[in-house]
Amino acid sequence: MSIGESIFLLAIAATMGGALTAVFARSIVHAMMGLITALFGIAGLYVYLNNTFLAMMQILIYVGAISILIAFAIMLLGPDSKKYTGFSVPGKLISALAVAAVSVVMFVRFILTNLKGDPHAVYAVTAKDLGRIFTDRLVLPFELISLLLVVAIIGAVMLSISSRNSRGDK
Amino acid sequence: MSALLYQNADIYLFVAVFLLFCGIAGLIYRRTLIGMLVSMELIMNGAGLNLIAINRFISPDNGYGLAFTLIIMGIAAAESAIALSIIIIIAKRYRHIESGDIKELKY
Repeated sequence: MSIGESIFLLAIAATMGGALTAVFARSIVHAMMGLITALFGIAGLYVYLNNTFLAMMQILIYVGAISILIAFAIMLLGPDSKKYTGFSVPGKLISALAVAAVSVVMFVRFILTNLKGDPHAVYAVTAKDLGRIFTDRLVLPFELISLLLVVAIIGAVMLSISSRNSRGDK
Repeated sequence: MSALLYQNADIYLFVAVFLLFCGIAGLIYRRTLIGMLVSMELIMNGAGLNLIAINRFISPDNGYGLAFTLIIMGIAAAESAIALSIIIIIAKRYRHIESGDIKELKY
């Protein structure tokens, strides 16, 4: 096994272990750390898919912005991990078993279906090509994303202002 | 089966479906709203990894999967910002963020 394959397996292990930690950790701070580990692992997988630009965007946006936002929310609310008991309702257990069954079925279908791709084709989409795509063909989704971000920022500000006004209600 | 391990599409697709079902299991398993938001981020990352792997191995001559993954990142940023502000308002109002006990907006 070459050193590239070992690093690849390390990235996959980081992704899977981080995802399991993010779901099943007892404390919410540990769950956030697991999420950050999984995001770094996915950035490594993007590097192996010949997408260094997207790996950098992953680290900048997810690890640098969204995880820090979640950390701010945890610090504002306090890590109240009171009496965490997993499945109390039997309906939840049944739904979890259904999810597990569907995942096993999909995994078996993945095993049986051989995806006819060409792994040796040259794939070198650079940031220049990406800018070309966004300004030539995907102009409307690009502008809609900026509109969505503006609406999200204004919505967050409006929610905080209205909650400050209605603090004396309850 | 190609020579190198990372030139095989099945591994990426398996990691993507693993992330998807970890996210769904977290949405069912978690009680607090922030834990459910973390699970949502896992689902969106699984979708992005799936798009990039399909773009790399099926149609490597264009970059639409990359563009859609960047759009998914923007949507995830906006969604988490709105969701966290709503969670903070809920925490100010109810003094907790247990999703099973928030019943005032339910009916």
